[in-house]
Amino acid sequence: MSIRNVTQWFKNQELARKLIWINCLLVVVPLVAMGVFTFTSFQGTMEKNVGGYQLQTLKQVTLNIDTYMNELNRLTLMPYQYNEILAYLRSERKPGQPLTLKEIDELNSFVSQVFINGRVDIMGVSLYGERGASYVVLPESQYVTTYKLDESAEWLKQAKGLFGQPIFITTHEVKSTSGMSYEVFSIARELKSFDTGQTLGYIVIDIDPASVRGILTQVNMGNRESLSILDRSGNLVLRKEGYEYPDQPWPLQGEGITQMRENGGDLLIAYFTSKVTGWTTVSTVPVDELMKASDRVRNSIALIGAICIGLAMLTSVFIAFRITKPLRKLSRLMRKVEQGDLQVSFPVANRDEIGRLGYAFNTMVSKLSELGYLLYETEIREKDAQIAALQSKINPHFLYNTLGSISMYAELEGNREIVTMANNLSRLLRYSLSSRKELVTLRDEMEHVKGYMTIQKMRYGERLHFDVDIGAGTMDFAVIPLMIQPIVENAIIHGLDKGIGDGRIRLICREEEAVLSIIVEDDGIGMTETQLDEIRFRLLHDNDLGGKTGNGLLNVHRRIILHFGEPYGLRLESMPFRGLQAILTLPAFRPPQEKLA
Amino acid sequence: MGKKRAFRTMKSGLAIAVLILALGGCVGRGPEAPPAAADAPVIRLEYWTPFSGGDNRFMTEMISRFNKEHDNIRIVQTNSRLDDYYSRLRTAILAGNAPDVAVIHTTSLPQFVQNGYIENLEKPATDIGLDWTAFNPNILKSTVFDGQPYAVPLDTHALVMYYNKTLLRQAGLLGPDDKPVIGAGAKGYIEFLEKIRSAIPADTAPMAQPSTRIDSVWLWWSLYNQMKGGGSFYNEDASRTVIDNAKALEALKYVNGLYRSKLIPPDINDAFKLFYDGKAAVLITGMWGTGAFENAEGLDFGVVPVPVFYDRPAVWGDSHTLTIPANRSMSSEQRKAVMTFAKWMVDNSELWAKAGHVPSMTKAVLSDEFRKLKFRSDYAATANYVAYWPRHVKQWSIVEILIKEFERMNYGQQTPEQTLRKAARLIDAELTS
Repeated sequence: MSIRNVTQWFKNQELARKLIWINCLLVVVPLVAMGVFTFTSFQGTMEKNVGGYQLQTLKQVTLNIDTYMNELNRLTLMPYQYNEILAYLRSERKPGQPLTLKEIDELNSFVSQVFINGRVDIMGVSLYGERGASYVVLPESQYVTTYKLDESAEWLKQAKGLFGQPIFITTHEVKSTSGMSYEVFSIARELKSFDTGQTLGYIVIDIDPASVRGILTQVNMGNRESLSILDRSGNLVLRKEGYEYPDQPWPLQGEGITQMRENGGDLLIAYFTSKVTGWTTVSTVPVDELMKASDRVRNSIALIGAICIGLAMLTSVFIAFRITKPLRKLSRLMRKVEQGDLQVSFPVANRDEIGRLGYAFNTMVSKLSELGYLLYETEIREKDAQIAALQSKINPHFLYNTLGSISMYAELEGNREIVTMANNLSRLLRYSLSSRKELVTLRDEMEHVKGYMTIQKMRYGERLHFDVDIGAGTMDFAVIPLMIQPIVENAIIHGLDKGIGDGRIRLICREEEAVLSIIVEDDGIGMTETQLDEIRFRLLHDNDLGGKTGNGLLNVHRRIILHFGEPYGLRLESMPFRGLQAILTLPAFRPPQEKLA
Repeated sequence: MGKKRAFRTMKSGLAIAVLILALGGCVGRGPEAPPAAADAPVIRLEYWTPFSGGDNRFMTEMISRFNKEHDNIRIVQTNSRLDDYYSRLRTAILAGNAPDVAVIHTTSLPQFVQNGYIENLEKPATDIGLDWTAFNPNILKSTVFDGQPYAVPLDTHALVMYYNKTLLRQAGLLGPDDKPVIGAGAKGYIEFLEKIRSAIPADTAPMAQPSTRIDSVWLWWSLYNQMKGGGSFYNEDASRTVIDNAKALEALKYVNGLYRSKLIPPDINDAFKLFYDGKAAVLITGMWGTGAFENAEGLDFGVVPVPVFYDRPAVWGDSHTLTIPANRSMSSEQRKAVMTFAKWMVDNSELWAKAGHVPSMTKAVLSDEFRKLKFRSDYAATANYVAYWPRHVKQWSIVEILIKEFERMNYGQQTPEQTLRKAARLIDAELTS
């Protein structure tokens, strides 16, 4: 999938999905990246720290052991404070030569001093003179004076080279006279005469390794650690009870951390060589053992991360759906409108963009429905008008012919009124029946009104006065056919039928600011405020065409509005006993030719 | 959309904050120490012993067996030379770092009972259900002060006579019952040794006994106690010693005579080793040697009670007892553990008997197991005529005075008369100090 495809695919997703995808990207990616980065750097630091910590602990342990060793070392200096001991070491002795009581006392009290001043873990004290003297106290044994220095002993060679420095001898076994073996390590020192500078002998103190092992035991670097002390040549001095690993690569001298691969996994080896003993303390711990804590951290990070991401995603899904819900509803409503259901409304809860959109939608739907109604009404009215016209056309020629016959007979009889009446009626009929035009000129309409009034005058005689006041240039303006005649008829009914005496009807046409006003006044009894309000209300709100008085007015009003829109129409003014004024307002324009067809 | 972005920012911000907090916490703490696995912490008890005669290996065995049987108690033994032991124990008690349990000889008990240096065991023993009546009354008596028990007696150990059967057979002194043929009384014993001397190589000792240390004092005390009217050490109120008397001198002269006649060769340091190596025909020492000699390769030996030199059987003897040195920091759990250990030790004293000692529990002495042990039953009766040192707060220091003076005598630096007189003077001085 190319990038464009992906982009397109994304663009085609639902809005909610888009939001979720984006959220996912914005939440999951940084969180995961952050988690991975943090953990990796944490792991790195941890590994380094753990190694450092390991080495630090080792140093601490070695220092502790060194302190202990220094304490022992001080004991090896004791012979220098006992001249009789130095004298004994200096003395020439034959093998098996017994000690005098004084010597026994001196040596015994010296060894007792070493034992008592030292720690409880001293197992034996040995004094060796260069010239055959010896005094060896081993555990559970009486002193022995027959032991000879083993000249080939490794430690002895070392001791000879080291003036003033003690030698630490790795763990070995000593046998008591009762046959028991004891494991000890020893500290040995070459003793010299201050005056001659010559070697007098050696003192060797044997120590139970348990106490040093005890120091090691206090260290805990992990469950599967191995802690041991090795001498200069890599021989084991002692080992903390517990795990054992294959031998470390040797030599390990100085201090440092190294790793070794073992079948089980990586081993972290830290080592530190004591400057006092020259022994190297070595700790071996499986790396994974040390990293257990960091594994826990990684798991917690993963868990917390997963929970956070889960929550975030849940919230984001919820919010995405919540936010797009009104949009989806709107789109559903629109589909309904598409299918022609205009009885829908979008509940507007707030004024955000969605709210405004919903409001606009509602307005649009209501406008749409209103427009639809108007269209519908217009069509009905026109159908009605046509039906009415067709009905009245049932036999118009018969009516014309009849009226023509009446006119002819009246002519023969010499009755001018009937002739006029019949001719006017015939014209009125023709106008009415033939007016399928939408618009006519005011002149045509006025012709019709005049014909009508001629007839009415013959009915009412001198009682009816009809004045026409047509403003200049208004005769060519477009009006709706049969628009004025009903108003005039209404004026006659109100002005003359209900009154007594003369009735005056005035028809005024004016053009002002592109508005054509046609005013029909009478001087009848007029209307009360209540009647007027009722008619005005009906004019405003009543679409009903049912038969009722004033339907003529209503009809005219609706037709004007249907044709020209809201501000135009019929208005009524009245004052009680001063007549009624009906004002028709229309836009002032000349009818286009095709509409006059 | 703006609202939504704010939401999201807040969310991821929160998540990151949580992460950082979690990480920070972990980094700060560093590697964690694994939690202690054991539900009940192991009680570690320091146990001091003064064994030096070959019996220590049996003690070590018992301790490891005890430790194996008790998961929650771990006894850590420190064995010192007897020469330094009490000095060390006294210092430790005064320094407030005394061991949790220590072996103290009956002889030394008085000095530790004083000033409350060791604990009264009345209540701890009751708590653990230790039955005092099960002990040999003679031994038990030595641990009771003012009616209160202060120590759990482990054994009785007294002098016995070891003899090398090979050498005695050479001298024709081994009877058909494999027992030595010794003439009656002090004189008979000298003759016995003389006969041996004439029959064995010159580098082999007829009788081995070190010239130094306590051994000659033990022998003297045994002989002195065998005499009718002998064995008294102090006057009635223990303000002066009465050892400078004829009976004591007679016994001492006898001991000195053995050295002077070289029936005990001079300059012996380790008589035990000498006998162990087959270089001595007779050795009078404590019963603790039995176990060790049994383990000696090529040593054919026997044990009999020390012969009666004078009027009645009596030998020096002592008891090892288990005590709780006063230590402010001792908890009731530790105390209970110590008593558990002490009870176990006496209940299993047949193991200790293997070293050579006579168990302190009557039941153990009568047990088949003990009877089956070779030698032990031969000298078990010795426990009944043990001559303990008199009970005195300063007894151990006073014995040390005797040792010093006897050593001089053994080396020929003074006569028995001088020795007794000087010792008596020094002891009186010690008593009044």
